[in-house]
Amino acid sequence: MNGWAGKILRVNLTERKFENIPTSDYVPTYIGGRGVASRIYWEEVPPDAGAFDPDNRLIFATGPLQGTMAPTSGRFMVVGKAAQTAPVEAYCRSGCGGHWAPELKWAGFDAVVVYGQASKPVYIWIQDGKTEIRDASKLWGLDPFTTQEMLWKVHGKEARVMTIGKAGETKSRLGIIITDSGDASGQGGYGGVMGSKNLKAIVVRGTGSVRVARPKELMEVARHIRSLFSRPSKPGSPLEPNEPGFTYNIWGGQGRGQLTGAPGELWNLCSDPNSGYERLPDACYACPIGCRTRVRGPDITSGVAQCTQSNMYLESIMKDPEKGYSKLTWEAGRMADYYGINAYDIHGINPWLTACYEEGVLSNKDTGLPLDKIGEREFISELLRKIAYREGFGDLLAEGCQRAATKLGGKPEKLMWVLYPRAGKFGGYREHWLYYGGFPDGYAISPLALMWVLDNRDAMVSHNFMSQLWGAATSLGYPPNFAEAEELIPVIKPTMKYAYGSEKAAEFFTPDGKGLKWDWAPRVAKRFFERTILKDSYIVCDVAFPFLYNPNSGDHVGDSSLESKLFTAVTGVEMSEGESYEAGDMLCTLERAIQAREGRTSDDDVLRDICFTNKDAAGRQYHRDDLERAKAEYYKLSGWDQTGTPTLNRLKELKLSDVAEALQRKGIITPDQST
Amino acid sequence: MANEKDRSLDRRDSQEQVVRKTPCISRRQFLKAGVAGFAFLAGSSGVRDMLELVAFAEGEQLALAKGVVLVDKKLCSGCRTCEAVCSTYNSSGRSSSALARVILEKDYLKGDYEANTCFQCVEPLCLQACPVEAIKIDKKSGTNARIVDEEECIGAKDCIGACGSVFTPPRPRFDVERGVAIKCHLCFGDPQCVKFCPYGALEFKWSDDGVRTGYPIIKEG
Repeated sequence: MNGWAGKILRVNLTERKFENIPTSDYVPTYIGGRGVASRIYWEEVPPDAGAFDPDNRLIFATGPLQGTMAPTSGRFMVVGKAAQTAPVEAYCRSGCGGHWAPELKWAGFDAVVVYGQASKPVYIWIQDGKTEIRDASKLWGLDPFTTQEMLWKVHGKEARVMTIGKAGETKSRLGIIITDSGDASGQGGYGGVMGSKNLKAIVVRGTGSVRVARPKELMEVARHIRSLFSRPSKPGSPLEPNEPGFTYNIWGGQGRGQLTGAPGELWNLCSDPNSGYERLPDACYACPIGCRTRVRGPDITSGVAQCTQSNMYLESIMKDPEKGYSKLTWEAGRMADYYGINAYDIHGINPWLTACYEEGVLSNKDTGLPLDKIGEREFISELLRKIAYREGFGDLLAEGCQRAATKLGGKPEKLMWVLYPRAGKFGGYREHWLYYGGFPDGYAISPLALMWVLDNRDAMVSHNFMSQLWGAATSLGYPPNFAEAEELIPVIKPTMKYAYGSEKAAEFFTPDGKGLKWDWAPRVAKRFFERTILKDSYIVCDVAFPFLYNPNSGDHVGDSSLESKLFTAVTGVEMSEGESYEAGDMLCTLERAIQAREGRTSDDDVLRDICFTNKDAAGRQYHRDDLERAKAEYYKLSGWDQTGTPTLNRLKELKLSDVAEALQRKGIITPDQST
Repeated sequence: MANEKDRSLDRRDSQEQVVRKTPCISRRQFLKAGVAGFAFLAGSSGVRDMLELVAFAEGEQLALAKGVVLVDKKLCSGCRTCEAVCSTYNSSGRSSSALARVILEKDYLKGDYEANTCFQCVEPLCLQACPVEAIKIDKKSGTNARIVDEEECIGAKDCIGACGSVFTPPRPRFDVERGVAIKCHLCFGDPQCVKFCPYGALEFKWSDDGVRTGYPIIKEG
C-alpha cells in the first residue's frame, strides 16, 4: 500500500502480547497520524478510564508521508487520554519531530498502540517486523540520554529511541517522551502515562522501505517546497542563506536556527569563531529549513532544543539583563530534558511562582524552594529536581501548574487563571498566543480567542494562522511580536483573502479602532482547525505548514495546496485541496464526538473571567457575548448543536453512524436535537 | 549498460604526482605528493573529517571516474534528505535509509553528522571483488562511475565486503527485496543528493581528466 508500511502494532503490556492490525482498516478514510489515532482512541479508550489506568491507550501514530522524502515528514503524533488536561483527564494529542517516525515505518509499522501495564519496567524493541518486550529494570531511573546510550550499546546506534526520564517514571503530569538530543512529545503528560504503564522506552530499527506511488511527482513537489521555504546555507556561515535577503519559512519568516535563543552572552560566544562555542543548523528528518540549532561549547550541556526548551528560563534574562540570553538560559532547558519535564508548563510554573512570591502568598519556607532566587541557577535546578522526584513542594508541582494552584486555592489559584486561560473542565494548558504580541497584554484578536476556547490543548501550537501576523511583523521590520496589530492588517489582507476567502477576514477591529470585529472569526477558526488536523494527519510540521505567509513574495500569499499534493504523490490517492477540507471537517467532528463522550459541552468552551476584564495593549478587550455568538456560529458551520455536540444527522452524513449511535445510546445526543 | 570492453585497461602516461587535499570545499589546498605525503594522509586521524581528492598516477588500471560527490560537513544539518531522495529516485519510489547510496552516519547526542559518499575509487575494490564482473565503468553516461549491472549481479555481496575492508561504512549496499547490490552511480551525471540537499552540504565535483579519489589513496578501515 503506497505510503504505508501496512500494519499497526498493538501491544498489551499486561499480558505481554502483540497483535498486528491492517492499516487499511483506517486509511485513507482517516488520512493518518492524528486522524487514525483519534479513530483508534474512539474505539478503544473507555470514557471513564483515567490517564494512568491500564485501559488508557498510548498511541504513537505516523502518517502516510513518514519515511518518504516529503519535506518535514520526521514527525509523529502521540494520542491518548492526557494526564495534563485539567481538571478532567481527557482526549488530547502531542506531536514530536526528529527521526523516530521514519524508522518506525521502515521497521514495518505505521503506528504503535500501547495498553495495559507491565508488572515491572520494560521497553519495547521493534526491528524489521519483529517485536519484543524486554526488561528495563537497569534503565529505570536513568535520564533519557544515558538511557539512549545504553540502548544503542545493545541495539546499535541506528536504532531510534522514544524514552521517558525521571518525571515520566514518577507519573508526573509534566512527564515528556523524548528522543535523540531534545525532540519530545512534550505537552499532555504522556511521559507520565508511559511511566504508569512501566514502559521506559520504545526502540525501533528498520531497514525496510515505504513505497511512494509517484516518485517523480513527489520529487517535484518537494523541490517546489524547498524553493519556497529555504535556501542552501552560505559556506562557512551555516545559519545564513546563500541568497542575500532570503527569508526562511519559519513562523512566517524567521531565520534558520532562530527558534533557539536570543541575543546575549551565549550567542556572542557562538559568533566568535575562536571561542570554542558554536551554533549550527540541526534538522528533523527531511526538513529543508532547520529552525533549531545544535549548540556546543566547552562548559555547557550541548545538544539540540526547540524554542520551548531554549526559552524556558526567560527569568534568567530578567534577572541578569546585561548577560541577556546566557549559558544558564540554555542549560535550564537542557536540565528539563534531562529529567524529562515538560518545559512548556515550566513557562507557566515560573511566572506563577514569581507572582505568588511577589504577592507574598508563597514563601521559601512554604515551598522549600529558593523563590528569592528565581532567575538564578540554584532556583531552576532545585525546582526541576524536586518536580522530577516529587520531593516536597515538587510533588504538588508535578501535577502541573493548573492542578497545583487549584489545590492551593485562594490567591495562588487566582494568580494562575491568567496563565491558564481556558476555563471549564478541559483546560490545563498554559497561555500560548491568546493575545497577539505576547502575554499578558498584547493585542486581542477575535479568531485567537475562538480558537483557544475550541481546541483541546493550547491552540496556537499550530502556528499557521499566527504565522501571518508574525510574518507581517517581520516583513515590516519588527521582531515578530512587536508590531502594533493595526499595522499588520494591510499586509495580511491578501494572505487572509487567499486563506479564508475575503480581505474582510483581516479586519480584526471596528473602524474607530476601539472594538473587535467577530464576523469572520468562525469561518477563520473553522478552516484553521481543518488545516491543523490535516497537518497532524499527513503529518507535516507545525512551524512550516500550512504555508499561509510567504515572506519572499510581494503579496506574501502562500500556498495551502502543498500538503494535499504531497499526500497524493505519496499515496496515489487523488485528493484536491477542497476535498482535503472535507476530510478535515470530518476529523474535527470525530474529535468533538470523542470529547462530547468525555463530557465536553459549550460550557467548557470558555475563557477565564479575567480574559474579559483585561484590556489589551490598545485598550480593546474580548467580550463574552461576542465570543458566545462566534461559538454558536462555529457550531452551526460544523453541524453541531448549540451545546457544541455533533448532531445525529451530521455524524451520519460524515459516515460516522456508529459514532452517532454510540452517543445516542449514552443519551449524549437525541434524534430531536439533530433536527 | 557497460560491457566487457569497458573494463579494459586505460593506461595513462601522465607523470603528474600531485596530491590535492580538500579539508573542506571552501579551503582547498594543494600539496606536493610523495610517499611521505601518502603516509601522512593514510595515517591522519583527521582523514575521515575531510574528503580527500587526490591525483594519483601510478598503478591505475581503469578509467578514472569523472565525477565525485564531496561533502562540506560543516553545513550538514543531519536532515537525511540526501538518503531520502537517493532511494526515492534510484529504487523506484521505495523510500528508505537502507536503500540510500549515500550513507549519513549520525551521532545524535553530539551532533556529529557525516554523509558518506562513494569515492568512485581509482582502484575500485568492489569492482575487483565481484565474482561475475557485474560492477562496470559507466561509459554510456560518460561519468565513468563504478556501477552495478543489476542484471548480472548475483547478490554475492563480495563488493560490500571488499569496500568494507577499507571504508566504513561500506558504500555498496544490499537491496534485500531485489537480491542485488546497489551503489552510487552518480545518477548518470546528475546526482540527486547534491540537487536536493537543502543546506548546500554536497557538491558534485567534475573533472574531464578524471578525479583521483578513494582507494588506494584513502584508506579508512
